[in-house]
Parts: sequence; structure tokens; C-alpha cells
Amino acid sequence: MENFVTAFDTTIDNALFWLTDHAAFIFDGARAVLEGLYDGVLWLSMLPPFYLAAVLVGLLAWRVLNLWAGIATAVALIACAAMGLWPETMETLALVIAASIIALAISLPLGVLAGLMPRLDRALVPVLDLIQTMPPYIYLLPAIALLGFGPATALVATVIVAMPPAIRLTSLGIRQTPNEFIELGHASGVTPAQMFWKIRLPFAMPSIMAGVNQSLMMAFGMVVIAGIVGSGGLGETIYGAIRTLDIATSINASIAIVVLTMVLDRVTQSLARTK
Amino acid sequence: MTQTDTSDVLIDCQSVWKVFGDRSREAIGAITQRGLGKQEVLREFGCVVGVSDASIQVRRGEIFCIMGLSGSGKSTLIRLLNRLIEPSLGQVKVKGRDVAAMDAATLRETRARHIGMVFQSVALLPQRTVLENAAFGLEVQGVSRDERNRAASAALDKVGLSDWKARYPSELSGGMQQRVGLARALTSDPEIILMDEPFSALDPLIRRQLQDEFRQLTKDLGKSAVFITHDLDEAIRIGDRIAIMKDGVIIQTGTAEEIVMNPADQYVADFVAGISRLHLIKAHSVMISAGQWQGAVDGLPRCSPEADIDALIGQITETGSDAIAVEEDGKLVGIVTIRNLLLGVRGDADASAH
Repeated sequence: MENFVTAFDTTIDNALFWLTDHAAFIFDGARAVLEGLYDGVLWLSMLPPFYLAAVLVGLLAWRVLNLWAGIATAVALIACAAMGLWPETMETLALVIAASIIALAISLPLGVLAGLMPRLDRALVPVLDLIQTMPPYIYLLPAIALLGFGPATALVATVIVAMPPAIRLTSLGIRQTPNEFIELGHASGVTPAQMFWKIRLPFAMPSIMAGVNQSLMMAFGMVVIAGIVGSGGLGETIYGAIRTLDIATSINASIAIVVLTMVLDRVTQSLARTK
Repeated sequence: MTQTDTSDVLIDCQSVWKVFGDRSREAIGAITQRGLGKQEVLREFGCVVGVSDASIQVRRGEIFCIMGLSGSGKSTLIRLLNRLIEPSLGQVKVKGRDVAAMDAATLRETRARHIGMVFQSVALLPQRTVLENAAFGLEVQGVSRDERNRAASAALDKVGLSDWKARYPSELSGGMQQRVGLARALTSDPEIILMDEPFSALDPLIRRQLQDEFRQLTKDLGKSAVFITHDLDEAIRIGDRIAIMKDGVIIQTGTAEEIVMNPADQYVADFVAGISRLHLIKAHSVMISAGQWQGAVDGLPRCSPEADIDALIGQITETGSDAIAVEEDGKLVGIVTIRNLLLGVRGDADASAH
């Protein structure tokens, strides 16, 4: 038995070595694409100075929520800068946005297909269950073996963790079209494409937006954990602070994470409602 | 039954069956070969017979009501007409074309242009304004925005919702929502309108109002309609002809007068027992031939064969006469006596003793 386990582990290790030796160009390419996306988003978010960014996001929060939310948002963001954590905060934001773009680009179409094809849905559910029951930092291990230390690894692990809620809620929304409207569509002579765009999608929108919001929150949680693999951003700040027992810095970084999470959560939630 | 010109039959539904269940194919085989009934099919195959050997013909310009209680198969039958449900057996022809044989594109075109449908649940898209909802059918057909909004606007004017076009369905009352449903069906200008219990969920006053408006509008526009209802009063108010359904079978088809005067069985008789005859039964159904009348004809008040009992009673009480002469085109066709009237009020079939 022990021999068997050892043999199994050796096989896995060898397979990984073989992949890094023979398929390196694939992973180098993937890494370049992922880091390119991350660098692009980071460049955009670092473009305005912190005070301007704080005011702009504050205005957005005021528009979609209310005046007090707008003021609180601006003050909280300026506080992040005051703690000397502005670049880290923006790195974390860039990671979340980059990971969410990839995660949604995969999970929204997949969720729609699962909603339209019950068999695909049945096949996906156990996979999603598995992804969500595993401890999230597990996904860092294969990623770090193939992509190395840095934001690319953090992105891949984050994408995996962020996808399930968007897939589930998109599929649910598409499946939940009330039957009388399906009947209306048929009786009006709609084409299959019109049935999707004019009838199913509008009814699924609230559920899909809830899925987007959930995915964003999952991405946030994972991006902080990904600090261990040198993702940069607040996660890495906290990881460093833990190793040196620098409690003050870890609390500062935690506050910045809370600020960022709350702003993103509230703004996307209310955008979903007004839709 | 008089022979009708086939070109005037818009919907011709011949011996249509619908069997629901996993083994419906086998069940249909058993029905055609062994002549199994509804109960045997359920026992042997676990299949439910929704519609059993139904034949109806809807003529141009006619409002055809299908009356039945819940579970009678009337909602299934109306869905067979535009193939929202596929028939298991039998043929449905709309304007002479077999609906079951149509390919997807032809079926879409037929539904979009020739058959409008109004649902009990109304099914207005909540994200769209009243105008956009009414324009939905034309939007789906790819008609330009200007043109479809003009048509939708005209349809909304007809149902009296001119001031509500920019509102959302949630801002409208139930009765107004159903008017939008009707306007949506009219916007594409189809010849046939299928009405699936459209007024059942409305309160009685609004319902009567909509019934009258619907009948008026359908007649004014020259449309044909198939109207499903569980309410015999509604069927009589609206329908030119009525089919009565029970357990998936059409047990009687005829005008309100025919059904009330000659119910096909005890079930129909029980149903029509509570219906007032005053406006249903006409002079020609209760009159006796002039030869059977002993008295003088010259002094009698006159009426047409289409005058209803209520009007005849009015004439008798006003003039104090014993009888009324029924005239058609200036010719005497029969006599209605007080005895005939009394029998007619009771709905006795043998009121006209020939």
C-alpha cells in the first residue's frame, strides 16, 4: 500500500517535471498573457493620484448609493493612502479586476449553456461542488509549479475560486424563466436567438448580477490568500507582517482590505439592482 | 348541420388526440387499434388523455367558445391549434394548411402573422413599457421601430389605453394589463385570436365590461376568435358557437340557443339549468305553425323570428294579445302563444309542437 502511494506521488511529480520541461513555452506564454492583463489594469488604476481616485470613486458611490456612502468611500480610500498602502491597495484591486474579467469571461457563457442544457448542468454541479469544498489555497500549488512565483499564479488560483458562483447563478437565472413567457415567445413566433435575448436573458439578469457580485467577493478572499505566492498587493503585505510579527502593519492592511471589499461590494450590488 | 363552404373554415381540427406520458406512443397505438378509452389508457399505460377525438371548425368572423371545467382539456385543445402542444393523433389545419407538417420557419411565420394569443396570466414583460409590450410581436418579426410603434399605438387606442403607453405593466390594474395583452395580440393584425381564459382572474364587473368590449372589437375588426372559458355565462355572452368539453371530449357543439334547448346529455343539462332563457331563445324556436293556430291572425302583433322571449313577453303584456304572429320578409311563418312562451322560459325542447 505504501509503495503504491509512493509510486502515485512520484508519478505526479514526474508528470509535473515533464510538463515544465517540455511544455514550458505554453506556460511561459500563459504567464505573459496573465501578467500583461494584470499590468494593464494596474497601470490604469495607478494612473490618477490617490486623492483624485478617492474623489472619483466617492462620486461613483454617491451616484449609485447616496451622499453619505460617497463621502465615507472617499475618506476611507484616503485613509488607505495615509497608511502608506496606496500602491498595495491598487495592486490588490488590479488583481481582483483582472481575475474577475477572466473568471466572468469563462463562467457567464458556461452558465448560460448550463442553463439551456440540463445535462451540462448536471455534469457541472459536482465539479463546482468539488471546487468549492477544497481549501482555496490548494489551487496555488499546481499553479506555482507551472507558472512560478508572482501575480500570474495568484490570478489562476483566483479565477478557479471565483468562477463557481457566477456559473451557478447564471445557470439558475436562465433556467428560471417563467413558463408563461416561454409560451408567449413561441406563440409570438420568436426564433431561438430571440427567445434567449428578448425573454430568457432579461428575466435572468438579477440572478446573473448576484452571481457577478458573489464572484467578485470570492476573488477578493482568494487574492489576499495568494499573498503567499508573491502576488503583490495587500495579501503579500499581511503575509510579510505575519512572518515578522508586525501586528500594526497587518492591521493597517486588513483595514485597507475591508475598505476595498465594502466599496466594491456595495457599488456592484446597487448596480445590479438598478439594472 | 348545414354544409359550410370550406374556404370559410379558418381552423379545421379533425379527430385530434393528445396523450401525455412516457408511453404515449404505445397508448395511441392501443387507442387506434383496440379502441381503448381514457380510463383503460391510464390503467394500462399510465398516460393521461388530455384531448380525446376532438373535432372543431372555426369559421371566418366567428367567435368560437370552448367551455369546460378545469381538467376538461380545453387549455390543451387551444394549444394544439397553434402547435404550442404537438397533437398525438389527428390533424389541425389553419387556413387550409396542416400545422403539424410545417417546418420551424413556416410555423414561426404562421404564429407571428396569422394567430394571435392572449393568456390568462397575461404574461407582460415587466422590463418593457406598455407600448413596447404591445409592439413585441412586430419587433420579433423584424419590423422597424417607427412602424411597429405606430401599429402598437393604434392597437392600444382601440382597447382604450391611449394614456398609458409609457407606463410599465406593474403600474396597471389587472383589467388594464389584460387590455394590453389583447392589444399585443391585435398589433400583428392576425385573422385568428386564441384567448386562453383571458378574463378568468378579473373581478365580475371588469370582466363583463371586457367581455362586451372584446366581442364588439372582434366583430368590428372582422377577426375570428377561439375563446376558452370555464364560465357558461361568459361563453353565452361572447360566443357565436359554443363547444362543451368534459374529460377531454367535446360533448356538444352548437349555438347557445341550441345547447340550452337541446342539451346533449345530463351533464350539459345540469350546466344550462341555471341559465336564463329570456335572451337566448328566439321566436323561431318556440313558435307553432300558423295552421295549428285556431284564432284570427290579422289582429295579432307582429315580430321577427329572431326576437327573443324577453321582447315577446313585452309585446304580449303591452298589447294584451293572446299570441304574436312571426313574420319573415312580410310572410307569416308561425305563431307564438302564451303557452309557447311559458314553455320557452322553462327551456323545454318540445315547446314548438310541430
